[in-house]
Parts: sequence; C-alpha cells; structure tokens
Amino acid sequence: MVDLELKRDRIVIRFGTKKWEWVLEPRYWRNTLIWAVILFLFPTVSYFISPGLINTMISANIYAAIAMPLALMTIGTGRMNFGPQFYIGVGGYTAALLSIAYGWGPLTTLPFAILMSMIAALLFSPLVIMARGLYYVLLTLLLPLVFLEVTFIYTDIFKGDTGLFGIVPLLDTGNAKNNFLFIGYFSTVIMFAYLWIINKVLKSRYGLLMAAINDDEDVAHSIGVNINKIKIIAFVAASTMVGIIGWFYAHYFSSFAGITYLPLTFMLKILLVLMIGGRAQVFGCVVGGYFVAFLEMLMIRFMGPIQPLVFPIILLILLFILPEGLFGLYRKRRYREYLPTIHVRR
Amino acid sequence: MWSYIQNVVVFAFVMGSIYLLIALGFSLICGVLRIFHLGYAYIFPLTVYGTWMLMMTLEWPLIPSILGMILIQFIVAILIYKGMIKKYLATEDVLLTALLLVALIVEQAANYFYPIQAGVYLETTLAEGTYQIGEAVVPKQLMIGSFIALAMTAAFVLFFIKTKTGMAIRALSQDIYSSKIVGINVETLYMFTMMIVLLPVIIGMLIVAPVWSVEPGMGWMYMVTAILVAVLGGLGNIKGTIIASFLIGLAHAFVSFVLGEPRFMNLSALILVMVILVIRPQGLARSESLW
Repeated sequence: MVDLELKRDRIVIRFGTKKWEWVLEPRYWRNTLIWAVILFLFPTVSYFISPGLINTMISANIYAAIAMPLALMTIGTGRMNFGPQFYIGVGGYTAALLSIAYGWGPLTTLPFAILMSMIAALLFSPLVIMARGLYYVLLTLLLPLVFLEVTFIYTDIFKGDTGLFGIVPLLDTGNAKNNFLFIGYFSTVIMFAYLWIINKVLKSRYGLLMAAINDDEDVAHSIGVNINKIKIIAFVAASTMVGIIGWFYAHYFSSFAGITYLPLTFMLKILLVLMIGGRAQVFGCVVGGYFVAFLEMLMIRFMGPIQPLVFPIILLILLFILPEGLFGLYRKRRYREYLPTIHVRR
Repeated sequence: MWSYIQNVVVFAFVMGSIYLLIALGFSLICGVLRIFHLGYAYIFPLTVYGTWMLMMTLEWPLIPSILGMILIQFIVAILIYKGMIKKYLATEDVLLTALLLVALIVEQAANYFYPIQAGVYLETTLAEGTYQIGEAVVPKQLMIGSFIALAMTAAFVLFFIKTKTGMAIRALSQDIYSSKIVGINVETLYMFTMMIVLLPVIIGMLIVAPVWSVEPGMGWMYMVTAILVAVLGGLGNIKGTIIASFLIGLAHAFVSFVLGEPRFMNLSALILVMVILVIRPQGLARSESLW
C-alpha cells in the first residue's frame, strides 16, 4: 500500500518497506535550480547575441565534467590521480578509430568507448591497492605519457603527429549555428547528469564510506569497510565517466589528437578547475570549469600573444588566495558538510 | 655482434651519465625535502634562456652570463622555497599544482620572449668533433660531459659522506624531528639543498645545449626522465639514482642500437620502470635514506 505523509519540509512516500523523500524546503534546492535555469537559458540567449559563447560554454561544461569524476576518484580512492586524461585518450581513440574504420555514428561508438575505458580502468585498478603516496602520483602521471609515446610510435594507426580526421560528427542539422546550440545543450545535460550522479553517490552511504577511506584508509579498514572494493569501484566508475568525455571530444571536433589531451598541460588545466573551483567538491568543479573556460576565452580575446604567460600567473595567484576555492567563498556562510582533503604524500 | 656490444656499452655510459646529471637534483629533493618537485621542469629552460637573455639584453660575454644565470636560479629557488614549499608543505595538492604552474609560467615566458624561431644557441661547446671508440662514434662534447657528470656525482657523494653539512642533510633525510633535537637548522639546510641541487642540472643542461635541441618546452621531457630515474632508484637514494640512470641509459642504448628503433627509447624506459615497480614497489635502493 502506498502511504503518503506530509511533513513540515518534505513529502514522505512509503511503499512496503521502501521509502522515498521529496524535499520541499526551498533552501535545499532553490539556488541549484536557479543556476540550472540560468545555464539552460544561456545557450539560447547567446545563440542570438554571440554564438561564439556557446563554444566556450561547451568547453566549460566539459572541463567540469572531467573534474567531477576526478573529485569522486580522489575521494573514493584516497589518492590524487595525476593522469585522468589517460581515459580521455582511451575513450577518444576508441570512438575515433571505430568511427573512421567502419563509419559508425556517435551512438554506435559510445558503448565501445565506455567498454574500452572500463577495461583500461580495470586493468590499472590494482594501482589503487598497490601504490601509495608519491608512487601512485608518479605512476598515474606517467601513464598518459606512455600512451602519448605509443600514439607517436604507431603513427600509422593513431596518427600521433597529425591527429585523426573524418570522425562522424556528434550532430548534423545542416546548419553550423544550430549544431552548436544543440551540442551546447547536450554538454550541459552531460554536466548536470554527472553532477547529479556524483552528488547522489557522495551523499549516499557509499559516499560516507568513501569519505572514511579518504580520511584514513587504515582506520576505515579496521572498522570493517571493504576498502579494496570501494576503491576499485570508485576508480573504475570515475575513469569510465572521463572516458565518455573522450568520446564526446572525438565526435564534437570530428578529429582527435592525443597531443591535445595527453600532455601535462591539459591535466594541469583540469587540476586547476578542481582546485580553484573548490578542492574536490562537486559543485565547485562546475564553478571552476566555467571560471577557467571563460577567463581563458576573455584573455585570448583581449590580451593577444601574451595570454599564455599571464593566464597561469593569474591562476597561481588565485590558487594561493582562495584556500577553499571559489565555491568555498559561497560555502563560508552555510552549513558545512564533509569537506574532502586531498592526500598526496601518504 | 661485437659492434652492437661496443655501441651499447659506450652509449649506455654516455647517456647514463647525462641522465645522472639531470636526475640527481630531483632525487635529492625527493630524499631531503620529501616532496615531489613537479616544477623541476622550469630549471632547464631557465638555464638556457636565462643565459641567453643576459647575453642579449645586457650584452655580457658567455661566462659572466652563466654566472648571472646561476645567481638568478638561486634567487628563484629561494623564492620557490620560501613562498611555496615552506608554506604549503602540509597541503601537497596545492603545492604540486603550484609547482607545475611555475614550470608552465617559465616555459611560456621563454616562449613569449624567445620563440623557437629566435634561434637561441649557447656556445658552450667544450670540444668539437667526435671520438671513435672501437666501432662506436661519440660526440666529444657528450664524452667529456659524461666524465664531468661522474666527477660531479663523486663530489656530491663525498660531500654527503665526509662533510658535517652533508651528514646533517643525511640526518634530515632520515628524520626531521630527531634532527631538530640534535640542533640541526632545518630551514637553512632545506634552502641550501634547494640551491645545491641546481648545480648538476645547470651543468648538465649547458653541456647538452649545443648538441641536443633547445626549445621552451624541453623541460617536461627532461623532467620525465628525471622522474623515471628517481622512481626507479627509490625516490631520493643516491646509490639507487646512480644505478637507475645507467639502467635507463642501457635501455635507451639497447633499443636504439640492437632493436634499431630509437622511437621506442622513452617507451622502453617507462615500461622498464613500471615492471620494476611492480616487482619492487620501493625502487631499486634498499633504504629510503640519502646514501
């Protein structure tokens, strides 16, 4: 029997032994909803004012969508992964090679990109059990560089020097401007989906276990948490989510080159989104993604050739003056939940 | 067959010694400060472009420019230590990101002021021509460089074994708390270490600058080699670093001359490191102390 119960701030629905809650209290969802509406209106508004902005928005969404799984991975494994872009390479190359060889569209290549990222992640998941501290940082730092070397060695397959061309595009409506608009919405959907999933996971019981692992692995083990299982699941799930972004990149640009995504400089940008956004907090990743992407766009537009030099200087200053990131400025006035710490040395 | 062996032995020695120069500093920072200096890549472009800048803007001759550049390097190292490492030693995520950013900033500055078409070239050639050792042909510059590398390493080892300061640094690498108790000035020694580790890198860079290519982004490649050597050697052990650099030199020489595929050079070293780390996760060296 379905049982409805109206409480002060929520509606509770009971069915047998199961229970669902729908929170009515606006302070829990009002701000998120306002931002979601703004983000969904943004592409349409800029479609008429300045279509170029949609491009920046897509980059911002994608930066956020790479940083969020990285935050999940950092909390879930209790380690800092310095090579998440490896999975962009895996997903992107899988999609690109299949699309070029068989002429497959994005929907057909997606399951393969997911599968390959998952297999690659499973293959390297023993790292989260074996390697600790700086060795883990090093091994994850080297993995994408190995992959980059491979793309240059087997250049007849991966076209490491020129990049792969001729991938079936993500969308083709016949009008470039409309394509941008739809892809802009699609990237926003991906970003919100990731945000929703990861936020749910971190708020669930598994999130609590992950937080325990992140704070102290040995203590978590001693109180009966199956740390290996949780670490591997967090690692593989987050890596697969990053792999999907590789698939998106390949089909969005219709070309894919490892040299764009695999070097340290791309990873540095993701790391900054994570750090300046708000130290491994999921909502902070969105703030960081938009901040970094729009700052970069503005600087390219107004500063010219000195931009590559000034951009990292500004980010370095921000890194020092915002100890909890941009999202921390907002959080300061609110109830504090679990604030993840990032461990490197342990 | 005999020619293969000669080539492999000679080039393993030459490349191993150069890698030793490049990696010694990284390994020492890992051993003493117990941090991972991801900004290490900034030292390489700063050596070449700093010297070039002094030569071009102030029109100094080569030797004073090099000395001036070493002074600049010391100042930068102190600034990095005081401003970043000391402040953020506890929050290493910020520290590593900031150090990476420093390397990126130096690279971009070099690229902005002297792009690759500016034709930066340092006349630091010690000897022109090549040596013929059996079947192997080696540039004289690299051969002399490898002997300088060995001398430099020997000097470092003697410094750490024989002098009191060296002993204090070794104590620091083992236990900071106990070192403080016996009256070692941790701050000063950290700064001193940050400065002396620059010397092998600067000398190594000046030796290879006329032979290998010079471009603003070169630091990353050298840093990857340094990371590989340091990890293989066991993060901060000098014995391990020496063995590891010659092992990687051997792997590079083997791949280049026996397999005849120089493209596989970096990949072979990376795979070698990964395999050894799976077998011996703590690296080649037995202890985590400096010597």
